Amino acid sequence: MIEVAGLTVRFGGVTSLDDMSLTFEQGTCGLIGPNGAGKTTFLNVLSGFIRPASGTVRAFGVDLMSMAHYRRARWGLRRTFQTEQAIEELSVFDNVALVHEHSGLGRAARRQAVLEAIGFVGLDTGPDAKVGTLGAGQRRLVEVARAVVGRPRLVLLDEPAAGLPDEETRHLSEVLRSIPEHTGALVILVDHDMSLVSACCRTTAVLDFGKLIASGPTAAVLRDDDVIRAYLGVA
Amino acid sequence: MPPWSDFEPFIVSGLALGGVYALSGVGLVVLYRATGVLYLAFGAVGAMGALVAWSLVQAGAPGWISWLVCIAVAALITLGYGLLFGPPLSKRDPLVKAVATLGLTLVLYGVMDLLWTTSGGEARSITLPTDNSGFTVASIQVNWTQVIGLAAGVVITAATGAFLRYTNLGTAMRAMANDREITATLGVPVRKVEAAAWLGCGVLAGVAGLLLADMVALDATTLTFLVVSSLAAVLIARLRSIALTFAAAIVIGLVHDLITPITSLTNYRDMTPFVLAAVALLVVSRRQVMSRSREEA
Amino acid sequence: MRIRAAVIVALLAFVLFGIPQLFSLYYVDTMTEVAVYSIVALGLGVLVGRVGLVSLGQVAVLAIGAWSAARLLFATTQPYPVVLIEAGLITMVAGVVIGLPALRLRGLYLALITLMLAGAITIVLDTINFPNGGRGFLGYNGGAITPPAIRLPSIAASDKAYFQYSVVVAIVMFLLVFAHIRTRPGRAWAAIRQSEPAALATGINVTLYKLWALALASFITGVAGGLLAGASHYLYSIDFPAQNSIILLGVVLMGGVYSMWGAVVAALLYQFLPALLQNWGVSADWLTILFGLGVLQVLTTAPAGLADQVPKDLARLGRLLRRRLARAPAPAGGDPP
Repeated sequence: MIEVAGLTVRFGGVTSLDDMSLTFEQGTCGLIGPNGAGKTTFLNVLSGFIRPASGTVRAFGVDLMSMAHYRRARWGLRRTFQTEQAIEELSVFDNVALVHEHSGLGRAARRQAVLEAIGFVGLDTGPDAKVGTLGAGQRRLVEVARAVVGRPRLVLLDEPAAGLPDEETRHLSEVLRSIPEHTGALVILVDHDMSLVSACCRTTAVLDFGKLIASGPTAAVLRDDDVIRAYLGVA
Repeated sequence: MPPWSDFEPFIVSGLALGGVYALSGVGLVVLYRATGVLYLAFGAVGAMGALVAWSLVQAGAPGWISWLVCIAVAALITLGYGLLFGPPLSKRDPLVKAVATLGLTLVLYGVMDLLWTTSGGEARSITLPTDNSGFTVASIQVNWTQVIGLAAGVVITAATGAFLRYTNLGTAMRAMANDREITATLGVPVRKVEAAAWLGCGVLAGVAGLLLADMVALDATTLTFLVVSSLAAVLIARLRSIALTFAAAIVIGLVHDLITPITSLTNYRDMTPFVLAAVALLVVSRRQVMSRSREEA
Repeated sequence: MRIRAAVIVALLAFVLFGIPQLFSLYYVDTMTEVAVYSIVALGLGVLVGRVGLVSLGQVAVLAIGAWSAARLLFATTQPYPVVLIEAGLITMVAGVVIGLPALRLRGLYLALITLMLAGAITIVLDTINFPNGGRGFLGYNGGAITPPAIRLPSIAASDKAYFQYSVVVAIVMFLLVFAHIRTRPGRAWAAIRQSEPAALATGINVTLYKLWALALASFITGVAGGLLAGASHYLYSIDFPAQNSIILLGVVLMGGVYSMWGAVVAALLYQFLPALLQNWGVSADWLTILFGLGVLQVLTTAPAGLADQVPKDLARLGRLLRRRLARAPAPAGGDPP
């Protein structure tokens, strides 16, 4: 469970997140809103790239803001990026193993976990393929494998399906949907693809201009008048 | 500690030196803001111009022609570089752009060493007619070249500030410092604005080269690396504020020269810009948070 | 893979035993410097190519190593390898102390800070001078008319033996870096170079690994400084001018920062080519100009440098030739009677 209280982020004169308070319970939670609403800013706060002006974030009872950013990954906070960030010059295996290098597990156990994660995302290239030679969809899967290897507690997905053809989106959507069950982690999914969000998320929150305008069960939120006006457009 | 009277002449020379550093620094900041290029060849093109001017004087050309040629040489090399290498590097990291200008520095350095070799032991100098006339303020001798140095710094800083604020071209440059692509979509002729910035920076490099060749030494290595002092001022201003660049440059010039009469420190006076810039940057960096994140957002 | 290993071994055997036999003393001494500077270039290559830190002051770092080694060689009777390691460690501490606060800065600022600090180090060395057998902490005897030479290892007292000694030390340094690149630090550096946020998100302590790269580069550069002290016999501050750091960065970029061969190419460009030209009576200034153009060419078109570009060009040439040959009529053999 993640409890966000009074979170405010300012860049110069612009307020990107305005006194956001919200609780993510479990499973996959959607976070939607128009461009510039503060979704990625929120993920960056969780990752530690941005220090908030005020507010607290407690994740599973731990004060996330007091943790150094690289330690958050070791603690179990994982993420993918809007522009995919698989490391080109390393192999698929090494990309996924990077996350796991500091887990304190033995070599054999690490290897096992890495291969399992690669299998879970259904990457058919083999673990030794160099990421630089892969296509966009496969790189996304490498990134997702990196996010689920070992024991993640909290997985942040920043528009994982952006720019992918329908077929690959469908496969990705199946993978994403099974992350909570497979790993036990809480997943926060940011995306513009409403079919992906409704397929994956039981609950969804909506941001607009840095303010939380709605949250609750996905189906109800998507029918909310304010949400339709601010984001989805008149249906 | 030497008596105060020993320091007095160095106040004047320090202010003059600071003025020249300031006008160099302003040139560097304007170019950086308009094009994203930190022009590390600034000192080398100035030196090139000064050496060409020296050769012209040796060949019997009148002084004022050689000064104009000095400025023209520096301006044309700078503009040429900007037109040739600006576009292919425009999308690269500022670090890559800066390192590329080191390539130009090496080329110029090699050419200067080849054509005006220093190993012959031949000492060169440029003298301006303003060196030998001057006046006395509170028993301190001041010559007109020193006045020009400080005045040039003040005037250039003020004029550039006004230019950026009140003219269309200046507004375009400020906009481009924020976001090149958006500025281009607003109908600003990005290429032309950039060319103007290159040319302006080159002119300032020529002026600085001429003044420093007179005030310090006419020597390729010295002049090429004197840019580091202005660079220190630019760094203290974090590549942004022209006023801060001016203030930092004056302080660097003053501290550098005022240390000269202190025997225990005089050998270390050339460290002034390095030390001041290093301290300023490290103090600033303590307050800095991860800055990459905003680009991500 | 085995062929490649065999080629490397044969090449090393030629360098170690062929060069001292076949080359004149002038070129043997030059090749000693090439060995030394290949280590320096390797260190700079690690910084630029692996973690994206551009240092404009590596020659000053080299000078710190040379100064420390010279001081230790005059002051103690320790065996050479011990002195080299100590010089490396002293340089490493200096590099880390300087780098720790500077690492928080972004790329361009960091590069400029290294330029500033290198300038400051150069000025200090100008003032305190290099040790020449004098007393006191600095070990400089200004009045010495014939200062004693810096001692050489007892097993490598001749120029040829010292060349072999330097090559062996260089090989050890290359293996040290190779071991880093192939293991955890190398993978972490690859992640950092591509994207710092992504590296952080995978749990990599970015500051620690950057510092690690800086420490490794400083260490091997310090060891190279120790080798240089022996090779030079006498050290003077004018041997380490600030502009050489820029030339060094130029040749390292030209050689290529992503491959370890690039460091060897860079050292050949930096030391062997000038010696060759000097022998032919051509001014080294032409090289400076060439390096300047090389930097511009590499940055605009071939970011991986010569060590990457030349094999690719050769491969392209090979393919072209093969295609030509294939298209030509089949060679004689089945001619009709």
